[in-house]
Amino acid sequence: MLEFKTTGFNGYAVKYSPFFDNKIAVAASANFGLVGNGRLYILRLTPHGIQAEKWFDTQDSVYDTAWSEGHENQIVAGCGDGSVKLYDIALNEFPVQSYEEHNREVYAVHWNLVAKDTFASSSWDGTIKIWSPMRTASILTLPTHSCTYSTAFSPHSPSIISSVTSDSHLRVFDLRTPASARNHLVNLIPIHGQPPSSNNHGPFSPPSEALTHDWNKYRNTIIATAGVDQIIRTFDLRNPQGGPVALLRGHDYAVRRVAWSPHLSDVLISASYDMTCRVWTDGTAIGQNAHLGNTALGAGGRELGRMGHHTEFATGVDWCLFGSEGWCASTAWDERVLVWDVRSFMMG
Amino acid sequence: MSAAQRLTQVSGHMGASKSGSAGRAKLLQKNPDDIVVTACLRTALTKGGKGGFKDTPAADLLVGAFKSLLERSKIDPALVEDIAVGSVLPPGGGATEFRAAALAAGLPVTAAVRSLNRQCSSGLQACVDIANAISSGMIEVGIGAGVESMSLQYGPGAVTEFSELLESHPESANCKVSMGVLSEQMAKDRNVPRSLQDAFAASSYQKALKAQEAGLFDEEIAPLKVKWEDPKTGDVKEITVAKDDGVRPGITAESLGKIKPAFAKDGSIHAGNASQISDGAAAVLLMKRSTAEKLGQQILGKYVAASVAGVAPLLMGVGPWAAIPKVFEKTGINKDDVDIFEINEAFASQCVWCANELGLDPKKINPKGGAIAFGHPLGCTGARQVSTLLYELRRRGEKVGVTSMCVGTGMGMAAVWVAE
Repeated sequence: MLEFKTTGFNGYAVKYSPFFDNKIAVAASANFGLVGNGRLYILRLTPHGIQAEKWFDTQDSVYDTAWSEGHENQIVAGCGDGSVKLYDIALNEFPVQSYEEHNREVYAVHWNLVAKDTFASSSWDGTIKIWSPMRTASILTLPTHSCTYSTAFSPHSPSIISSVTSDSHLRVFDLRTPASARNHLVNLIPIHGQPPSSNNHGPFSPPSEALTHDWNKYRNTIIATAGVDQIIRTFDLRNPQGGPVALLRGHDYAVRRVAWSPHLSDVLISASYDMTCRVWTDGTAIGQNAHLGNTALGAGGRELGRMGHHTEFATGVDWCLFGSEGWCASTAWDERVLVWDVRSFMMG
Repeated sequence: MSAAQRLTQVSGHMGASKSGSAGRAKLLQKNPDDIVVTACLRTALTKGGKGGFKDTPAADLLVGAFKSLLERSKIDPALVEDIAVGSVLPPGGGATEFRAAALAAGLPVTAAVRSLNRQCSSGLQACVDIANAISSGMIEVGIGAGVESMSLQYGPGAVTEFSELLESHPESANCKVSMGVLSEQMAKDRNVPRSLQDAFAASSYQKALKAQEAGLFDEEIAPLKVKWEDPKTGDVKEITVAKDDGVRPGITAESLGKIKPAFAKDGSIHAGNASQISDGAAAVLLMKRSTAEKLGQQILGKYVAASVAGVAPLLMGVGPWAAIPKVFEKTGINKDDVDIFEINEAFASQCVWCANELGLDPKKINPKGGAIAFGHPLGCTGARQVSTLLYELRRRGEKVGVTSMCVGTGMGMAAVWVAE
C-alpha cells in the first residue's frame, strides 16, 4: 500500500488519469470542507512512492474533480463557492477558466466519456450544468430542484446524463429529447422504493439523501446508487419502476462514493463515513449463484472485502484503469491518499 | 454558503448511524412552518375523591389552566383562534362547559372551542388536531388541552348500554370489557409476571418522588386556588394546589408485593401497579415558528408528527407498541434517536410489556415517573405529557422525545416532539 499525506487538507475525491497510469488527482479542502481554502493535488506514482507533481490552491473548498477524457493535461474541479474551474496541469497556479454560474457548493463534476467534448457539474443549488472547455458559459442547465450531490454521463452514450439528489431520487436525462417542460428528464426513479419481488413486505425504507452513483461500465442500463441510508442499490433502466435489483447492506454510516470496476462487470467499490472502503459483487457474474440454485438477478450480491486503514470519513475512491485489475486509490478526511490492491483485502 | 450551513448539510449525512436514515438531523432542523409549542403547563394532579381538586369541576380546572397559559405566554388572547379540549367522562363531551371555561379564563368570544374524546389519548389528540389545523392554514394560533375530573364524573354513566347488535358481534362486545379485567388477561397471556410489574411500578414511584423533591415538576405545574371541603369537619376552605399528591415515599417492589390483586384472585394487577384515579388539566399553546418569532413568543419545542393505530380491543394495552413504530416510520427515526419516552402507565403490565417488546432503554422511559405515581386523569394525560416531556428534555439539554399511550377499546397513539 502506498500513502501520501495531504497535510492540512481533508480529502474529498480522488481520480486516476485516463491517460497515464501513474497520475492521480485529489480534491481536498481545509477544515473538513466547512470553511477555508481548497486544494487540487496532481500526484505521481513513482518507484519511490507517491509524489506531488503540483497543486492548485483555491479560495474555497474543492469537493470533486474530473480529468478531461480528450486532453491529457486538462482537469476540472468543483468548488465550495459554486465555481467550476478548468486547469491545465502544464501551467501553474491559476485555472485556465473559471465558470461561475452555480449558486451553491458544487459537489460533483464528471467528463463526458463518449463525446469527450463536454463535462457536467452538479450543485446544492438544485441544478446540473453542462459545459464545454471551448466556451465560457454553460451550454445547458438541467434542474433537479433538489440538492444534487452527484452527476455522471453514461459511459455508453454521449447524450445521457444522470444524477442523484437529496430527495432520494435517481434522475436520467436524455439530451436528444426535444426541449420541453420536462427538461430532458426521461426517468425519475425513487431510490427508496421496494423491489417488486418483496411484495412490499420488506422492511420499511424511508426516503433518504442519495450522495453518489455510478454507471456500470459493461451493462449499459445498470446504475449503482448509495447515500445516507447506508445501502448500495443497483437499478436497471430497462425496468425503471421495478425498484432496486440488488441491495448491498453493510456500511455502518452513509456511503459517500461508489465506483464500478473498469475490469469486472459485477464488481464495485465504495467509500463511507464508517471509514472503510468496501468491494462488492452485485451477484450477477455468470455462474456465480449456480450453487445456490437461485437464478434471480442480484440475489447473490455481497461484500467481497474491505479496506479499513483510513482513520476518518472515507470520501473518495477510484479504480486504476491500467494494468492488472484491482488497483485503486482512496482518500479520506484523515488527510491521506492510499493506493492499494483490493485483492489483498478479499475475504476468504 | 456559511460554514454553519455546510455543517448542517454534512451532519445530515451522519444522522442515520443506526436507523438507516437521517431522521434525527432532519427533525432538529428549524423551519418557519414548524408547529412550535410556546407555552405548556398543567395543574397538579390530585387523588380522585380525596385530593385537592376533589370538589373542583373539570371546567374550573380548565379555567385555571387557560388563565395560567395566557399569563405565562403573555399572548394576546384575541390571537387564539381555536381551542380543542380532550376529555373522556363529561356528559355531552363537555362541549358547553369548556366553551364557557374559555370565556371565564379571559379568552374572547372569537376564540372557538370544541371538545373531543379519544379516550386516554384525548389530550394528545387535541394537541395534534390543533397542530394540524395550524399547518393546514385553517388557524394561526391554537390551544390543545385536556381535562378530567374523575372525582366528579368517573362512573358507569360514561358509557351507554350496548345494543343487541353490538353485543352480538364478538369483537365489538369486547369494547366494553373493563380495562382492569382485560389487562389482567393480557398480563397472563403475554407472561408479564407480577414481580416485573411491581418493580416497574415501584420505580415509577421512586422516580416521581425524587423528581418532586428536586423540584423538577415546578416548571410544568401551574398552582391553582380552589375550594376544598374538609371531609372530617365539613368546612369549606380555599387552598392552593401546587403539588401532585399521589406521589409518596417508601414504596418498593416488596411493599407493593403485599397488596391484594384487584381484578382476579390469582391476578397480578392491583392498586399499586396501575394508574391512579386523578383530577387535573393541561394546556399547550401552539403556532407556526414564523408566527412565534413575529409575536416574540419563547419557543419551548416543536411538534413533529403523530400516529394512531388500532389493535384488538382486548389487547388495548399494546397500543404504544403499535403506534410508536408507526410514528418512527413517518419521521424516519428509530428508538436510538429518541432521548425520552413518555409512555402513559395505564398499567405497569402493559407499559413494561410495550417497552420490552420495542426494546426501549428503561432509563429513557418516564424519567420523572408516570401515571402509577401521580395519576392518570384520562383526558388530561396526553396534554400533560407534553409539559412533562419538554421541560425535562430542556433541563437535560436533550432534544427528541416521544409521548405515547394505550387507548381504551383498542388503540394506541404516539407523537414525536423536539425540545429547543
